[in-house]
Amino acid sequence: MEKRNNKKVIIKVSNLSKSFNNNIVLKNINFQLLEGESLAIIGASGSGKSVLLKNIIGILEPDKGSIVINDTEMVNLPINLKEKLLLDLGITFQHGALFDSLKNWENIIFKTANKEKINNKQGKQLAFSIIKQLGLQPKILDLYPSEISGGMQKRVAIARAICGNPKILLFDEPTSGLDPVTGSLIDQLIKTAVKTIGGSAITITHDMASVCRIADKVILIDKQTISWTGTPKEMFNSANKKIQEFIKPIDSEIFFK
Amino acid sequence: MFDFFLDILGTTGKKFINFVANIGHFFIFFFSAIYWVFKPPWYFKKIFQQIIDIGYFSLPVVGLTTFFSGMVLALQTYNGFTDFNSETTVARIVLTSITRELGPVLTGLMVAGRIGAKMAAEIATMKVTEQIDALGTLGTRPMQYLIAPKIIACLICIPLLVLIGNTIGILGGYVIAIYKLNFNPSLYLYATMEYLQLIDIIQGTVKAAIFGLIISMVSCYFGYNASKGAEGVGFATTSSVVISSVMILTSTYIITALFFG
Repeated sequence: MEKRNNKKVIIKVSNLSKSFNNNIVLKNINFQLLEGESLAIIGASGSGKSVLLKNIIGILEPDKGSIVINDTEMVNLPINLKEKLLLDLGITFQHGALFDSLKNWENIIFKTANKEKINNKQGKQLAFSIIKQLGLQPKILDLYPSEISGGMQKRVAIARAICGNPKILLFDEPTSGLDPVTGSLIDQLIKTAVKTIGGSAITITHDMASVCRIADKVILIDKQTISWTGTPKEMFNSANKKIQEFIKPIDSEIFFK
Repeated sequence: MFDFFLDILGTTGKKFINFVANIGHFFIFFFSAIYWVFKPPWYFKKIFQQIIDIGYFSLPVVGLTTFFSGMVLALQTYNGFTDFNSETTVARIVLTSITRELGPVLTGLMVAGRIGAKMAAEIATMKVTEQIDALGTLGTRPMQYLIAPKIIACLICIPLLVLIGNTIGILGGYVIAIYKLNFNPSLYLYATMEYLQLIDIIQGTVKAAIFGLIISMVSCYFGYNASKGAEGVGFATTSSVVISSVMILTSTYIITALFFG
């Protein structure tokens, strides 16, 4: 197992490039996620953050480069081995991607139910134990995703990702569309998941308050590549123009004109 | 002028290459789906749900269509064959037309419209909302979980629907023959039973199974390869119904030619 600063390297992305029909989205991306580390990826909309995440989880194949998860090379890995590797990951998608035809509790325990035999009662109990932490009411368990609000769907998607305590968590905009209180709750949950189970997380977000709350390290994707890396503290002292644009406080003049 | 022809040639060539590529893509999907149909584990709950949806809920529409087709057939045949031994002729034509052609084709078209569109829309929506991507990250193969149950259910249900549709269609003919044309019920039934041949039932069932394969494969293919959001879902739905219907009507000729040609 590769180590850095005495910590295991959980995910190592090297020289990753991805393009769609001659449109280069990512170029020579390099970064590492260490054990127990929470990494936030920021960048403008359309900068390729979600594409990077999809490359990491094998939904997209990079044009070149390498992605190593827990010492296993993901690129060109046979599908059955890729599936085994993905079982250790908890993933949320940008728009939730909950299964419409399943009730919320079935969505939450989907992966666990695939791995081991559990009956409905056990499944609902398991789902309930998770949604409690996310501030959701038990009554939503028996509803379908289309019957709950967008914010609730987001939390159900997070519940699905953390069910089974995966050691690697990948969140694509987990707090977008949530009110500040719930957003803060989700951040706390991500932080707790990383600290208590010794997991590692990558979070894609635009929410700078969220970055400050959860991240140990921040990377900025701009013009197809990583243009800045540092801690949240360093981010506020950075002279990088893009970083400044991201952390620039809301111009109060707008409100008082 | 030369550039104009070059442009036309280029566009036509590109479209042709895309067409050939799509056919190749479809066959890769087809063989992959067949592989997953036979590969355990099977999701029996999903298969059962599909059987209820495809089989049970298609019964009214298939029943109504074949019943009225049987009635029309009896009436039209009687009008055309008044000079012949009508009881025998009407019974024979209704039976043969329904079992060999109308039963399977009408059932296939009805199911393509009702179920094919639904399948394509469901899978396409899952595709554009990243649900299929999510399935892959949760230890489940989308082909095995989503596509295989639909194919299995279609292969089971459509032959059964055709058998039921055939019976209802023949009943439709019987109702008109007896209550409108005042035929002798015993004679009509006797003629129907006399001309009922095993090869017609086998041929109808084979057709139904092939239609089941066509509907499920085409619908799942267009759904699975949908893109561009809501527009993509609409395109997948329309394409699946149109292509399934055309393939049903084309393949029915080929199967008939193979059996009776």
